[in-house]
Amino acid sequence: MKWYETKGRDSDVFVSSRIRLARNLKDYPFGERLDETSRREIVGKVRGVFEGDPGYTFTDFSSLPENERAAAAEENKVSPEFARSSKTRGVVESSDGVVSVMILEEDHVRIQSILPGLALEEAYDRADSADSALDSKLNIAYDDKLGYLTHCPTNLGTGMRASVMMFLPGTVAAGGIRSLANQLGKIGLTVRGMSGEGSAADGCLFQISNQVTLGVTEKETISKLADVTGKIAEQERTFRKKLLDADKDGVSDRVMRAYGTMLYAVMIDTKELLRLYSDVRLGVCLGVIDCVSVEKLDGILIRSMPAMLMKAHGGKMTAHERDRARAEGIRKILSGSDKE
Amino acid sequence: MLCERCKKNEATVFYRETVNGKERSLSLCADCAGEAKKKGEIEDLFEKENFFGSGFFEDAFSGADKLLGSLFGIRELPGRTKEKVKKCPLCGATFSDLVNSGKAGCPECYATFSEELSPTISRIHGTTSHVGGAPAAYKKDREKKEKIKALEAELKSAVKDEEYEKAAKLRDELRAARAEGSETK
Repeated sequence: MKWYETKGRDSDVFVSSRIRLARNLKDYPFGERLDETSRREIVGKVRGVFEGDPGYTFTDFSSLPENERAAAAEENKVSPEFARSSKTRGVVESSDGVVSVMILEEDHVRIQSILPGLALEEAYDRADSADSALDSKLNIAYDDKLGYLTHCPTNLGTGMRASVMMFLPGTVAAGGIRSLANQLGKIGLTVRGMSGEGSAADGCLFQISNQVTLGVTEKETISKLADVTGKIAEQERTFRKKLLDADKDGVSDRVMRAYGTMLYAVMIDTKELLRLYSDVRLGVCLGVIDCVSVEKLDGILIRSMPAMLMKAHGGKMTAHERDRARAEGIRKILSGSDKE
Repeated sequence: MLCERCKKNEATVFYRETVNGKERSLSLCADCAGEAKKKGEIEDLFEKENFFGSGFFEDAFSGADKLLGSLFGIRELPGRTKEKVKKCPLCGATFSDLVNSGKAGCPECYATFSEELSPTISRIHGTTSHVGGAPAAYKKDREKKEKIKALEAELKSAVKDEEYEKAAKLRDELRAARAEGSETK
């Protein structure tokens, strides 16, 4: 299963939900203080926790070619920082692709789980079960007062980042992103644009996550994030409706033009892709267009990222080659598609 | 608190260093701190854009003294041996290593430099006390402690209310709770 090709709850606004837990082994230093022997030991120990469990597979991440490492980041399986380095490191992945355990990211272990739509609690449960497996077999660095001990003091406590990727074209059109970011900052949440090429505004994708990890429980963090983003989603739906009410033909025209480009263009770069994705996705959510699904569009977006294209191609490509492959890939996905 | 040099102005700069295991601390006003800096008695802290460095002494400074905000920290004085400074027993990091990188050297650093780190942690999170989940081993221990604490409180109020029968029962429960798990160790 790919999270980006599966229908999730409230997928009109919520693209994905993600939980990350930072964990460290008690007897090892962090980051640059780790020598190669210790790095190998840690990879071996964490790998050992999941060995024998058919639900998980291990990959020696450092042995993967650069393209594949970058593609894993574009799929949101691992963090971009993790993908960039070629140092000794590994990934343990659940067979359904939901959980990935990054070994030797900034912390010794980062457990991540990602699900489509709004599904923070489910994502937490999945991460938590991998975490339980980890602490049943290894000595995890923990302090009664400070909680889980992490490389960076910003992650102390629960060591948890909960985040949702939201699709907010209505809020963008209404000029509400800046004030949203300000308001969120005041209540301990942050908003970031989608990582990778192209600016956030192009795809109207924003990642909202908790900032504070100490002095709050995992449950409180998740329910606060769900509450707040639920309100943002309500507001977003209102903005979209206003947009449509104000200029139905204008909106429909934009949506259909974007869809037409997806169907017939020969070259599409990432920046244009993000705009097309955003316009068509909005059209689907507003009922302007019904020949493609939201999850198909999310799949198109991820599969059209530069490293994902090169991974599918099996080697390096120039920007020109990528733009052509991107347009071709989109056409293929759309032609094999109809309503599900 | 008054400046310990001039004994006139309010102290706004708090300097501490550990040399040869001996701690020296100074509480100075901005003027005297400036003088002390000129004389080389206390040293600059490099200004760094990180959690430990920037604004580390924020609490100690009023807004007007912002200029001095980056001046002082806990660093070794020139000419004195570096290896005498407090080091983390697990990874060997000094507090200035933490300040420079903005990150801990190992899990043990948090215990080694707990006092030094406390204001920073508090500034980031607004608190220094964890309330969330724990590894299974710690969880058991914490549940035990919490149970004992709750029983102690109940016992206290039972005694206060002169409910001696209830108190006796609680005392037995408390004894059992305290003994729980300890015989296996």
